[in-house]
Amino acid sequence: MPEIFIDYQRFEFEQPGKVLQFMLDAGLDLPFFCYHPCLSIPANCRQCVVKAGMPVLNREKGTFELDDKGERIIRYFPKLMTACSLDLTDGMVIHTHHSDPLVKQAQADNLEFILINHPLDCPICDQAGECPLQILTYKYGPEGSRFEHKKVHKPKAFRLGPRVVLDAERCINCTRCVRFTDEISKSHQLTIVSRGDKNYPLTAHGQEFDDPYSLNTVDICPVGALTSADFRFKARVWEMNQTPGIDITNGKGCNTYLWTRDNLVLRITPRQNDHVNSHWMPDSGRLAYQRFNENRVHRPHIKLDGNDQVRTSWNNAILTLREQLEKTEASEILAIGSPHAPVEDNYAFRKFFKMHGVSEFFFVPDIRPGSGDGFLLSDDQTPNTNGVRLLDFKETTCKNLSSKIQGDKYKLIVLLDDSLFDRPDWPAIDPGNSYFTVWATNHTPTTAAAHLVIPVTCAAEHAASYVNVDGRIQRTVAAKETRYTNRRLNLEMSMGRLDHYGTQFDNWVDEKNRIDCIPAWEFFKKLDAEARFDWNSSREVLNEISRTLPVFEGVSYERMDTLLGVPLSISRNTPVDQKKTIEPKP
Amino acid sequence: MTDDWKTYKPLLLPDLPGLTDIETYEKYEGYHALKTVLDNPDTWSPEEVVLQVKDANIRGRGGAGFNAGLKWSFMPPPDGKPRYLACNGDESEPGTFKDRKIFEFNPHLFIEGAIIAAYAIRAEQIYVYIRGEYRAWVRILQKAVDQAYQKGYLGKNILGADFNADMTLHMGAGAYICGEESSLMESLEGKRGYPRVKPPFPAQRGLWGRPTTINNIETLANVPLVIRNGSEWYRRIGAETHPGPILYGISGHINKPGVYEYPSGMSVHTLIHEVAGGIRKGKKLKALIPGGSSTPPLRADVLDGLTMDSDSLRKAGSMMGTAGMVILDEDTDMVDVVWRISHFYHHESCGQCTPCREGTGWLEKTLRKIRNGDGEMRDLDLLLAICNRMEGRTICALADAAAWPVRYSIERFRDEFEAKCKQTVYALS
Ligand SMILES: Cc1cc2nc3c(=O)[nH]c(=O)nc-3n(C[C@H](O)[C@H](O)[C@H](O)COP(=O)(O)O)c2cc1C
Ligand code: SF4
Ligand code: SF4
Ligand code: FES
Repeated sequence: MPEIFIDYQRFEFEQPGKVLQFMLDAGLDLPFFCYHPCLSIPANCRQCVVKAGMPVLNREKGTFELDDKGERIIRYFPKLMTACSLDLTDGMVIHTHHSDPLVKQAQADNLEFILINHPLDCPICDQAGECPLQILTYKYGPEGSRFEHKKVHKPKAFRLGPRVVLDAERCINCTRCVRFTDEISKSHQLTIVSRGDKNYPLTAHGQEFDDPYSLNTVDICPVGALTSADFRFKARVWEMNQTPGIDITNGKGCNTYLWTRDNLVLRITPRQNDHVNSHWMPDSGRLAYQRFNENRVHRPHIKLDGNDQVRTSWNNAILTLREQLEKTEASEILAIGSPHAPVEDNYAFRKFFKMHGVSEFFFVPDIRPGSGDGFLLSDDQTPNTNGVRLLDFKETTCKNLSSKIQGDKYKLIVLLDDSLFDRPDWPAIDPGNSYFTVWATNHTPTTAAAHLVIPVTCAAEHAASYVNVDGRIQRTVAAKETRYTNRRLNLEMSMGRLDHYGTQFDNWVDEKNRIDCIPAWEFFKKLDAEARFDWNSSREVLNEISRTLPVFEGVSYERMDTLLGVPLSISRNTPVDQKKTIEPKP
Repeated sequence: MTDDWKTYKPLLLPDLPGLTDIETYEKYEGYHALKTVLDNPDTWSPEEVVLQVKDANIRGRGGAGFNAGLKWSFMPPPDGKPRYLACNGDESEPGTFKDRKIFEFNPHLFIEGAIIAAYAIRAEQIYVYIRGEYRAWVRILQKAVDQAYQKGYLGKNILGADFNADMTLHMGAGAYICGEESSLMESLEGKRGYPRVKPPFPAQRGLWGRPTTINNIETLANVPLVIRNGSEWYRRIGAETHPGPILYGISGHINKPGVYEYPSGMSVHTLIHEVAGGIRKGKKLKALIPGGSSTPPLRADVLDGLTMDSDSLRKAGSMMGTAGMVILDEDTDMVDVVWRISHFYHHESCGQCTPCREGTGWLEKTLRKIRNGDGEMRDLDLLLAICNRMEGRTICALADAAAWPVRYSIERFRDEFEAKCKQTVYALS
């Protein structure tokens, strides 16, 4: 197998590739800025320089020339080479800063150059704490500066587009943002303008940087030059907890991180998953943080006489719904699942009402043809259409469903978290004369029309699974505490830096922002007067699903975590095994 | 070999009026070389043209002095897909203004050379990238190209042979860096003029990813001479390792600045004192920048016996470059000269690579500080340190070109720099 020697250590490589990527994969350190595994390689930052050489081949003998000591004679390239653009070659010898003082010096020199015109305003820069320039400077940079002149001045706090703000003075001209718009989002909206040390990225004259993926440039910008208009100055990164999640704003299910502080989600960034979204996510998914924090249904709401909803106790909500169930025939219950709600909640919903004799379950997919882009935006506006399909809910349309509601047949409507009344094709009508119960995360026109609203946890508050448009089941982790969860006690929550090092006086333990809500499965467990459900966590709900439903066989949180989601063997038209669907346990 | 320079008859810019017109050019053997090649494909196969040109050892006149035929031989065998010849007429290096003379007085010689080159490397599309400020000369060249099309030297089935070639002129937009060959290709492709990382070299992946050869205008103008007279004849002109006619662009403190055509290997003193009429106002020479602003300046006291060819100049510690000689007299403030050159490179760095983008500015600002009388002795060491950190660490050679004049001026004229630093209020520091 071909071999390469890095700092006197021998490595083997199978595939052709570049030295820097090989080193990163092997866990070796080398500073770099402009290189990104998904983008072309401009080798412009010059930070990743190494000393490289090749053994001298004796062409006649076909062997390597050896010196007196029997060591291979190495002929080094006359200049330092950039590892990011250097091809792995059999027999190549590499020296990094660990084994060559010149390389070490060159890396420090380069950082000194980068810093001479950099504003060094880390104390007020959003990137501080997660800034490659800051990190690499501490690690490889020079002490102090010898630059005694006026720095170059460029536009600051400049709005490139609706979501991205540029501080051109911080830019180190790595061109990652430009390459992103050229090669990934293909909007070609950015270019570098001007020349030399006056360079900075900009759109064409009169054009806005409104690329639907524009915020990815903020993620990959190795400094604080590009910042999110939304997140700017909101929080320091080290004050936040970072929890893995799933984008719930469309069917692709981009993997995300939810960043929380004070029990609020402050920003959403992509999490690498090469099966789904690589390193990217659409801007729309990042704005979902607002719905996790604002306008939440807090405690159950009930409509007494008249039209005003009031808050009520959980006990009262449960008793009211039991009462409704008792006086309603199973055939008079209209049960509507939700492509917005996770697999576990739809399952519990279905299982509960099935036990009450309901035989038909509906849901309305929200698929808007033409709104997707074939990349990370799907036509499907919901995160779990496939999940609901697999649980044997019948697909229907807004029109059909509303005429069902209008009719006299149904006395009790139960609707899992889905604001149907907001849908563009929902006919403008009221929910008729039936008793209308909804489970919801947020206040919507639909909850406003309901007689009983049960607050449920959102994707930031529960561990739950969603099946994306490609049939991949992926799960979230609770990022935010509810009234009933606690970061330190609840093992299903992520652990962040503050969990390890914070004190209870840290302001992220903010009672105010804990919503009074529970996962829907938990509600159904409580609702069942005979206490027939023995789940203690969503993990147990999913385990039951994978035990009883063949398509979910072998799916577990552990597997989803290690494999970054599990592909289910379904196609859109595969009928789900009807017999083995959810039967109440004896 | 250059003793008889006084009787030398110019070959690139012959003293014949009206050569810009194709009829006149044809009258003086114009396009004969092309005809010879195309009419005798058996003796003049593309490979044979490459061999002859390689044997003639036409050293690239764009600055690097690379053997043109050897460069052509790097083109991979044809595969039926497009290949390109790009002619570099960007000519933006301070002190260099020779290609302009070819456009102005003998454009057909260049066109003929370019067509032969295209034939040799089997390219059917020729681009000519011309410095945008050369508007007037572009017009002359465009007219010449049009005439060549009318006469069937360009276009389909040239002179009845199974060979097509198109020539397209492209004007630059004022960036020096677009003269660097890979940046020139980016610019031709309609992109920002950022030099490319090499490898891959242009012959492997050039314009639109296809094999491409880039040659300077003057380099190509030499090609018909080789075809007409043979490589042996050509190699007998001028210096042995750097043969052929050279357009010496002489400027600075000189009585008769201008472009002069003489064989390579001319004595520097002859060029300055006899050809160009001596130093202005009878002053003494202080320094010579031999081949455009990026070549290291030479002190007057090393010029005795020095000739204008790459070997001799390398030994003296400089380079042939573009043979754009800048003459500096005894009154010249070297600090000021170097600052001005630094200002140019600071202004022209494309800004892609860190050491060049930041280093050029730092050099200029430090030199300006010294020039303005605020310099400190430690600034000189700082300047050298910056040069060390720039040289050889960038994508293209602009960083080297920016560093060399500073490094060698400080090394060779250190007394002047020190004197300047000592005049300041910081003298004791
Ligand atoms: C910064 C920079 C600027 C250059 N500018 C020019 C130029 O204006 N004209 C030119 O012919 N070559 C220029 N060159 C050299 C070209 O890169 C290239 O070597 C040359 O065009 C090749 O032609 P030749 O082999 O015929 O000399 C430049 C090189 C560098 C690094
Ligand atoms: S704005 Fe950021 S990503 Fe874009 S070139 Fe500058 S440093 Fe690189
Ligand atoms: S060396 Fe300078 S001019 Fe050349 S590519 Fe790098 S930054 Fe641009
Ligand atoms: S990572 Fe920027 S040059 Fe290699």
